[in-house]
Amino acid sequence: MGKRFVCRTGDIAANAMKECEAEGGLKLLVANSGGEFFAYQAVCPHQDVPLCEGLYDGAILTCHQHLWQWDIRSGSPRGLAETALERYALSVDGDSIYVESKSALDVGELFAGASEPTLAKLAALAKREEYDRGAVIYAVGDPAQDFFVLDSGRVEFRIGRDERTSPAGFMLRKGEVFGWAALLDSHPRRIASARCEERSTVLRIDGARTLQALEADPASGYLVMKRLSALIARYLAEPGAK
Amino acid sequence: MRVQLNARNRAFDFEAEPGEKILFAGLRARVDLPYECGTGTCGTCKARLVHGRVDDGWPEAPGRKYLKGAGEFLMCQCAAATDVTAEVASFVYAADPGACPAAVAAGVVAGARPLTHDVIALEIELDRPVDFDAGQFMAVTMPGVPGSRGYSMVNFDRRARRLDFVVKKKPGGGVSEWLFGRDRQAARVELFGPLGKATFHPSLGKNLLCIAGGSGIAGMMAILTRASQERYFVHFRGDVFFGVRTLADAFYLKELAVFRREFPETLGITVALSDEDLPERAARDHPLLRFEKGLVHEVAKRAMQGRFQNVRAYLAGPPPAVDAAIRFLLLEAKLTADNIRYDKFS
Repeated sequence: MGKRFVCRTGDIAANAMKECEAEGGLKLLVANSGGEFFAYQAVCPHQDVPLCEGLYDGAILTCHQHLWQWDIRSGSPRGLAETALERYALSVDGDSIYVESKSALDVGELFAGASEPTLAKLAALAKREEYDRGAVIYAVGDPAQDFFVLDSGRVEFRIGRDERTSPAGFMLRKGEVFGWAALLDSHPRRIASARCEERSTVLRIDGARTLQALEADPASGYLVMKRLSALIARYLAEPGAK
Repeated sequence: MRVQLNARNRAFDFEAEPGEKILFAGLRARVDLPYECGTGTCGTCKARLVHGRVDDGWPEAPGRKYLKGAGEFLMCQCAAATDVTAEVASFVYAADPGACPAAVAAGVVAGARPLTHDVIALEIELDRPVDFDAGQFMAVTMPGVPGSRGYSMVNFDRRARRLDFVVKKKPGGGVSEWLFGRDRQAARVELFGPLGKATFHPSLGKNLLCIAGGSGIAGMMAILTRASQERYFVHFRGDVFFGVRTLADAFYLKELAVFRREFPETLGITVALSDEDLPERAARDHPLLRFEKGLVHEVAKRAMQGRFQNVRAYLAGPPPAVDAAIRFLLLEAKLTADNIRYDKFS
């Protein structure tokens, strides 16, 4: 999916940081640490505070709101922080900084550990789609041909039959897979609906062709199916148990 | 009403009384929900409604500016109108077993004495004793004044029957009008708490640095009281910086001098005047205190140069002063984040 322009190296002073918007709209925090550049999610994973308002000394980034801290070279948490920052790979060409487009497949838990060639096949099947806030990606009863990996935004998942759906008790987050009925032979119709709570980007992947790819690589196929069954079991558990 | 709260790591279930704020219901059930001010200004307790309906007790709360989508609400201002399922973005755990439990309390105004032209010492006599840690605060509701306000306890006692607060007059503020307008002796007030994580325990084992602007000195008085009771300053240093505009805006100077007299070698107390050259009478009237001209965080930074090892800092006061202190403590003094304690609730 190539790389997208973020900013010029001169835009970010030595041991300083700045919020930048990459081509296509992705917001990133770009930090200069001793002449090397690092990019992370633009908002704090704790309370959605813009990280560019935080404190940065060239090595440690601190969110000013509750003093969560991270190592700028790895994004790993320090001190009070409970979770790592999501890192984006950068490349520098001349005085231009680019972000390497990262497929949600790479961060999704379902496919972790699958072999490189199989992941490459799946990535080739994936179509990136954008939805506006309020858009319904699929509704109960729709044919279940494709499954989805959430890349950005928030999707609410409602489960049920006919018109009588109820919230499953959680929102989907980046990397999470939904619409997995498309990976099951016996479920040609949706039993849930997925609706965007904000503008969202998803990867749409053909279920039947994914199954073919997994059948051709049984070791990866077994891993993925094992995770898929765990995922389904989680949906069947009481709401909110996730 | 049943409340199910889905956090990042797990779900919690608790019961809320009709009309009870969801934040307080959760804290009462010893669920350590995210909050900072507890009184509608900071936005830290925002949650997303997944199912059910909530009643917003203060739709004009300034903290609502941190809400993004429809369906987000402040747990400190909203009560459950039906059974409710809500989601917060952070990790949530059960409350620390050693923490003083938060609960609803009530009492009467037992005294209100002016400390300066715009600061009052408010004394509340409680119906039942409460326990709190030095540095904590209460959300206080006055009759007829919408919402509640956070005030730090000045005193420190176990099983306290009386709570002392410092109330600063704010032009047009509901509480100010209520309290500064006329005699409120014996008026009933409601409280919820104790709240806040900027607490001091004598087991800390570090030198104390207190930086307070204006009424932020309140919580520092409780910390100094506890530390003195435990003779903490026999083993560790204490440095207190109290920032005000002019000498006429300072208060508790006699009380601060009493702490200093007890530990003259290890406790330093500096009053920083931002808007006035040092009056001669300052040092003459208060020989145990130091006076400096400047902003409190700048005065503290100069005076503490080279003495930031093994220090725990407590900060309180107007948000710009607290933010400036955080900045220099992290970036220049190289304190670790867990040694910088403050609750933003003004």
